[in-house]
Amino acid sequence: MRNLPAILRAFFLSAVLSTNFFPVLRADANDDIQALRAQIDQLDQKLRILERKQEIKDEEAAAAAKSAPKIALTDKGFTFASGDNANSVKIRGLVQLDSRFFFNDGGGIANNAFVLRRARLISEGTFAKLYSFQLVTDFAGTGTPSILDANLGISLSPALQLKFGKFKSPVGLEWLQSDSWTFFNERSIATDLVPNRDLGVLASGTVLGGALNYSAGVLNGVPDATTSNNADFKNDKNVVGRVFAAPFRGSAGSPLQGLSIGVSGDLGREKTASGRTAGYKTDGQQTFFSYASAVVADGQSWHVSPQAEYRDGPFGLIGEYVLSTVNVRPSATGAKAQLQNKAWQLAAGYVLTGEDSSYNGVTPRTNFDPAAGTWGAFEIAARYADLKIDDAAFPLFASAATNADEATSLGLGLNWYLSKVALVKLDYYQTKFGFNRAAPAVSATQILRQDEKALITRFQLSF
Amino acid sequence: MKPSLYLAALALIATAGASAKSIELLNVSYDPTRELYQDYNTAFTNYWKSKTGDDLVIRQAHGGSGAQARSVIDGLPADVVTLALAADVDALARVGKLLPADWQKRLPDNSAPYTSTIVFLVRKGNPRGLKDWDDLAKPGVSVITPNPKTSGGARWNYLAAWGYALKKFNGDEAKVKEFISALYRNVPVLDSGARGSTTTFVKRGIGDVLISWENEAFLALKDSDAGSFEIVVPSLSILAEPTVAWVDKVAQRKGTAEVAKAYLEYLYSDEGQDIAGRNFYRPRSAKAAAKYAARFPQIDLITIDEIFGGWTKAQQVHFADGGVFDQIYLKH
Repeated sequence: MRNLPAILRAFFLSAVLSTNFFPVLRADANDDIQALRAQIDQLDQKLRILERKQEIKDEEAAAAAKSAPKIALTDKGFTFASGDNANSVKIRGLVQLDSRFFFNDGGGIANNAFVLRRARLISEGTFAKLYSFQLVTDFAGTGTPSILDANLGISLSPALQLKFGKFKSPVGLEWLQSDSWTFFNERSIATDLVPNRDLGVLASGTVLGGALNYSAGVLNGVPDATTSNNADFKNDKNVVGRVFAAPFRGSAGSPLQGLSIGVSGDLGREKTASGRTAGYKTDGQQTFFSYASAVVADGQSWHVSPQAEYRDGPFGLIGEYVLSTVNVRPSATGAKAQLQNKAWQLAAGYVLTGEDSSYNGVTPRTNFDPAAGTWGAFEIAARYADLKIDDAAFPLFASAATNADEATSLGLGLNWYLSKVALVKLDYYQTKFGFNRAAPAVSATQILRQDEKALITRFQLSF
Repeated sequence: MKPSLYLAALALIATAGASAKSIELLNVSYDPTRELYQDYNTAFTNYWKSKTGDDLVIRQAHGGSGAQARSVIDGLPADVVTLALAADVDALARVGKLLPADWQKRLPDNSAPYTSTIVFLVRKGNPRGLKDWDDLAKPGVSVITPNPKTSGGARWNYLAAWGYALKKFNGDEAKVKEFISALYRNVPVLDSGARGSTTTFVKRGIGDVLISWENEAFLALKDSDAGSFEIVVPSLSILAEPTVAWVDKVAQRKGTAEVAKAYLEYLYSDEGQDIAGRNFYRPRSAKAAAKYAARFPQIDLITIDEIFGGWTKAQQVHFADGGVFDQIYLKH
């Protein structure tokens, strides 16, 4: 009963509110609600407008960012690009510092050294998406800085790209791989037999869905292991070509998916006033064969090089054979002879840390960082190679007393990828020499008197 | 190798290059034509394949018509442009020297294969009771329309309102300016293109009315929840004639002149006209116009030539830097 007055009050109030007892009071409340609703609507609109204006600003900023020039610094170098990426210039570099130590060579040969093997500034660019250039200058060595590559390209389609200027002749396999990413510090002796950089025009492309890569062109023509000196005034030119197929590229799961096979070669006529080559070099970069200085090239020359590559996860394998044929005279008026030198190599690598072996080097999952306890990537490599000089070269075209007629090389290597940019290499090479039957019991050339045993280390920065 | 053999090899390479090229067209268009050209590109690609055997890839780029024209002048490699108004194509000829000055005579109907007009899109039930241009200039009405400096549709909107006011005030330009100024005082957001304004009104829920291309308004009705919007047809509007042209300099450089021309000519075919009608554009051909007549309301339409003396003059007076629009809008 104590609550009765309160119940009565509530009853009374609800009765009042449910009737028109205070109509003016209710109308005022409705007006207030309407006004509040209108105010909320207005505020809602204002908020939406502000949000939309911000959204438009963001869209405009995003559009402006798309068209704004871009500057990027990555492990592939400095890149300056237009907003639409149609125009870009990239600056890259390559520095290799080697140490070369030779064992058991009698100690009388001054051949141990620290060597600045390569110090290159590389600039590349594209204009209007179609037109490209590449300029590679090298500041290493004892001579003046040299221009290694200088070429212009037109990219008509993936199936057809044209290149004009100075570039790598497409003969050989390991030769075409970047200096930064070969299994070993030095390319094998098989590369002694292929022409190096040359001047001319080259068409190349990828067809059949990426399964076939081809190159074909016309070049000045340079001797084995020789780079063009940027001018070669003669009427005869070389035709070059290469096909390289990955027939199982699309066969996912097939053990042959990573197999590529191909052949390359060139054909031309050479007539030179000087020796055919500056010399064939060992893995330790010591010359074991060169033609006599009076020898001149005169007549047809050609190369053929069947080649294969296999990659499967951390495992990589390359193999190539090179046959180099040249017509030479012992002197400008001497009798002509055709000489055929042959070489081959088989090299394999295995990335111990599990990263993929690749033509473009190993990308470590982690960088070497003692603070973080990460070690980068490690790769081991082995190589066997042989180069045989034509027996007919001796003694008329080369001295049997001072030259080897065969070199057989075994190489073992350990590569430590500190990062994609920094690499440390440790290679051991042992090269056995063979001699022509006309050679004396002891070679007149000191380095040929015993097997070459060389330990070569490298610290490389490549970006 | 003899020089003649070398030259022959170069010629062979060049020939191989020519035969290896893939045919790709870029159609740079204005905002609301996305759906139209998606349909049309499929039809034309099939037509071109059956006619020539060639595979054709057509890319589209959309944005405010004026901004799109600027992009083409600045180097966007458009083989064809299908812009909201002739003035923007004129700019390509005048400023960019990308096509001849008389480009409009190269195709029928002054190179405008379809037309449209300007209507109002309002929210369901038309809560503000908006019926004509007068209502849009009243205080408190929130009007959504894009920026005439960047959008072709916005310029049609502006000129339609101007034409209405001119008639209402018997040519009294001061009053017309006052009217237009009042209308733009009611515009809270200026998007850069018509599609952006549709987003503002339809998706962001801003404003009481969207001044819109007729085709865009129909599309909004079609794409939005049933009954969310209504179209209000004003007592007077403007005949909007979006124009098309192939960009000679680009097409010649890319070797696409033939297909670019054919692409635009096919807009006038039965199939092209039907696709225009299906996408809520008013077709030019009598056959397609009859087929789609029921969906398009009858409106009293002024033309750019009769009221403004053509696009060149309208552009100069109203939309050039320091023009009437700047004078009106910058005051706000």
